[in-house]
Amino acid sequence: MEFYTSSKYKRPIRLDEKTREFAYESLHCKYGRDTRKVPYVSLKHIAGYETMSALDQYNCAILEIAKTAPIRICEGELVSGAATLGDAIGHNVPARFDDTREEMRSVSHLTVDFFEVLEIGMDGIRAKAEEAFKKHVDPEKKAFIKSCIHCIECMEIWHNRYVEALKEKTGFETVLENLKTVPFRPARNFYEAVQSIWCCFAFLRLCGNWPGIGRIDVLLGHYLKADLECGKLTLEEAREILAHFFIKGCEWITGESCVSGDAQHYQNIILAGINECGHEVTNEVTYLVLDIIEETGISDFPVTVRINKNTEEKLLRRVAEVIRFGGGVVAVYNEDLVLESLADMGYPQEEARKFANDGCWEVQIPGKTNFSYVPFDGLKILQHVTLKDYDKTLDFEDFETLFEQYKKDLREQIEMIYRQRVLEKLQEDNVHFKTATPCTVVALFEQSCIERGISYHEGGTVYNVISPHIGGLPDVANSLYAIKKAVFDEKIVSFKRFMKILKENWENEELLRKHILNHYQYYGNDNDEVDFIAAEILDDFSDMCRKYDKETPIRFVSGVSTFGRQVDWAPMRLAAPFGRKSGEVLSGNLSPTPGTDTSGAAAIIQSYCKADLKKQHTGAALDIGFIPSNIDSDNAISAIVGLIKGFVRLGGYFMQMDTVDRATLIEAQKNPANYQNLSVRVSGWNARFVTMSKEWQDMIIEKTEK
Amino acid sequence: MRAKIFDIQRNSFVDGPGIRTTVFLKGCNLNCKWCHNPESQLPKTQLLFYQSKCVSCGRCKEVCPHALKTCEWCGRCAVQCPTGAREVCGKEYTVEEVFCEVAKDRIFYQTSGGGVTFSGGECMLQIEFLREILKKCKEQGIHTAVDTAGDVPWEYFEKIMSVTDLFLYDIKCFSDNLHREGTGNSNELILQNLQKLSEQFSGDVIIRVPVIGGFNDREEELKQIATFVKKLRYKKTELLPYHEMGNYKYEALGRQYTSYYVPRQEEMEKYRTFF
Ligand code: SF4
Ligand code: SF4
Repeated sequence: MEFYTSSKYKRPIRLDEKTREFAYESLHCKYGRDTRKVPYVSLKHIAGYETMSALDQYNCAILEIAKTAPIRICEGELVSGAATLGDAIGHNVPARFDDTREEMRSVSHLTVDFFEVLEIGMDGIRAKAEEAFKKHVDPEKKAFIKSCIHCIECMEIWHNRYVEALKEKTGFETVLENLKTVPFRPARNFYEAVQSIWCCFAFLRLCGNWPGIGRIDVLLGHYLKADLECGKLTLEEAREILAHFFIKGCEWITGESCVSGDAQHYQNIILAGINECGHEVTNEVTYLVLDIIEETGISDFPVTVRINKNTEEKLLRRVAEVIRFGGGVVAVYNEDLVLESLADMGYPQEEARKFANDGCWEVQIPGKTNFSYVPFDGLKILQHVTLKDYDKTLDFEDFETLFEQYKKDLREQIEMIYRQRVLEKLQEDNVHFKTATPCTVVALFEQSCIERGISYHEGGTVYNVISPHIGGLPDVANSLYAIKKAVFDEKIVSFKRFMKILKENWENEELLRKHILNHYQYYGNDNDEVDFIAAEILDDFSDMCRKYDKETPIRFVSGVSTFGRQVDWAPMRLAAPFGRKSGEVLSGNLSPTPGTDTSGAAAIIQSYCKADLKKQHTGAALDIGFIPSNIDSDNAISAIVGLIKGFVRLGGYFMQMDTVDRATLIEAQKNPANYQNLSVRVSGWNARFVTMSKEWQDMIIEKTEK
Repeated sequence: MRAKIFDIQRNSFVDGPGIRTTVFLKGCNLNCKWCHNPESQLPKTQLLFYQSKCVSCGRCKEVCPHALKTCEWCGRCAVQCPTGAREVCGKEYTVEEVFCEVAKDRIFYQTSGGGVTFSGGECMLQIEFLREILKKCKEQGIHTAVDTAGDVPWEYFEKIMSVTDLFLYDIKCFSDNLHREGTGNSNELILQNLQKLSEQFSGDVIIRVPVIGGFNDREEELKQIATFVKKLRYKKTELLPYHEMGNYKYEALGRQYTSYYVPRQEEMEKYRTFF
């Protein structure tokens, strides 16, 4: 039984053989398939369902789920509770009135607050809700708070079903013991704390939601410390318990991709960094999480480590070691810059220091934020608006005029997003964002919804953020740069003719295309000329958003992302001026366009950091890929550590490093133009993968397979 | 002062500690049959032609002053070639120009314990230039490494010792006959220099032994190298297995290559125990 890695190094073995088997089965879809078997609970039998209010319908659904969702207890599991309904995997509340369609959408892109439940238990939260119920007079608010109390009762029903089922089995005495206390009462030790978070997380997911976990080492660190000190638990035992948490979190792996195309459910984890008082939080739990990921390669909890200028060397090296096994599971934040960025946005310092992320890496204050982003394709604006789909009558005198025009068009796009997404949302009522889908279960773990009597989607959270996210920015910079070089500097083609060529998708202009592709240094090579085009657009983009920020209760700030969207956008895009044909998949997030970066990771980081990234208030991500053979040396750890530290010093925001797998090499062999950057290194020798003849490429591919 | 350089590679993890920029100087006085950078051997500029990339557009011929019949390495064809099938290998650089490239990743040298490595070819053949650029880097606080085969007059080492932090020193074989057969030269000077270096150089040396299947992969040979090396005060020896990844460059130069075997992993493990 081995867990896959593209590295030549073997994953270490620390966990118990049984735990490893459990992980293996879970990673190989055993529980995911099981979850698919029962997609939803039926609401058909509920009298008068159709005439109920949306909130009452929701309440019925949650009750039905709690009462009838299948119970799953895996052999030997150390924590219990499971999200066993298939519709939830597709981002829905898994309850249907009409068998043919899903009923209600659920919530994602948030990290909830698990601190409170550890401290006061669900009973404490219930007491809080009862208090709020007495206080409020507004019937709508009362109905919402009542729904909160109802959902806690549902959770209790579900919890009791597990307790009863566990009683029937042998070998679960400790789990049962834990469940008698948590999650309803405060957790008293590490094991209870893990079970408590797991129960709440599982119930949230059972009801369809995809929350992030947040700062797990802060949540659990002090419990573990106390247990270790009094000898209640060993580090090895703690690792097993925590491993079960991670393994259970794979219960939605079905082997098929889900709505987002990446088979991820945004169950993010944040490690390390400073706390509200500015002290580093790194503790044993931080390292246990890295141990577990290193050993099992579980990628279902994307982990991001908050790195700052003072991060201890030991942690950096552990992060580098885990990164080397590939899979891109562990990424890093530049905590210093993120905090500066949050301060710039106006968050109080202690508040900012609590940051975690939403589903991906957009920064938010957990348990207090309702965040959504509005993605748009920056390249499409250039092609479609500025260059009018390459209208042959179009002409620009000089580069500056073109550049200004683009920025103007971008500004209009931002204005439109503001109008459509913010103003229209607020129109009905100036404070609440009405008619939102109910999602009370989420509100239980948000800090102000209950007190205010306002649901998560209606503005109950402390912070509400809508962030336009630009995509394809490196492609825009590369396009503008190519036009600048070829048309205005070198004058090898006139503007009008160039438009015609692009309109015709480079037909019969292969030589010009190749020239433009091969002779200019694009974004990702530390070439100031093009990097500053990207940086300037980003700067202006941020300012354009800030203009509308604070005009309403909804914050309006910028960010950069595509996630996988560059794939969806490809068919809609025309040929790009930097030598790309229509339909090609171009840059992702703020990473170089595939194939244009030929100078290595350090140069990519340099290019990326030239923009003032703290102005991208909800984040800007960089992805870097290594060929495994390049980082299969002892020195590679120092090198990866060096890249991370350099990224922090230069002012990066978020970076994910991964090894390139065999499939990518094969793809590179087929489409060399897209993979110019793949370099293969052996001491004293160097070559770019795509310049090699087929046989030699094959050989490298063979090597990578092992 | 200028040097002939055929490549400057940033972001290397394999030419010494940390993240490094490796500067490849052109020209070598050995003639190793297995050389994986054959374009480095001749001191003069050369033209590389990657047949597989050529689309036969004829542009190179149009711009070539000699219609491609002979070559004076003016590089015009490479500028015009749209596909990158033609590449001029070897360009003159001043100390300032090289430094400028090297300084770009300075921040990463600091964060990773890296620096600059001069390689080749035999970079020590352009010793005056090498001394200047090493001095410049050293003054600017950049860690310096020199990758050498060591077959140069001892005085050359003396010239750069004070500005070099690390030598990556290649030993190809111990027996002189074999050395002559594989590289065209005796190894007497190489071993002598290494001996002296061990006595007089206070910095670090990593000895690197390429293991070439069908040439020096004999236990006796490697054991002899090990015995010699162990007497020196350096702790680190790296055994580097031969690889065939340089062969395509022979094709680009229009040359034949000699085939050797890639030693198997188990063999490498065994050889490593000798050291
Ligand atoms: S380098 Fe100059 S002389 Fe040589 S083939 Fe090219 S154009 Fe002709
Ligand atoms: S210019 Fe380049 S592609 Fe065209 S014929 Fe010459 S080598 Fe081939």
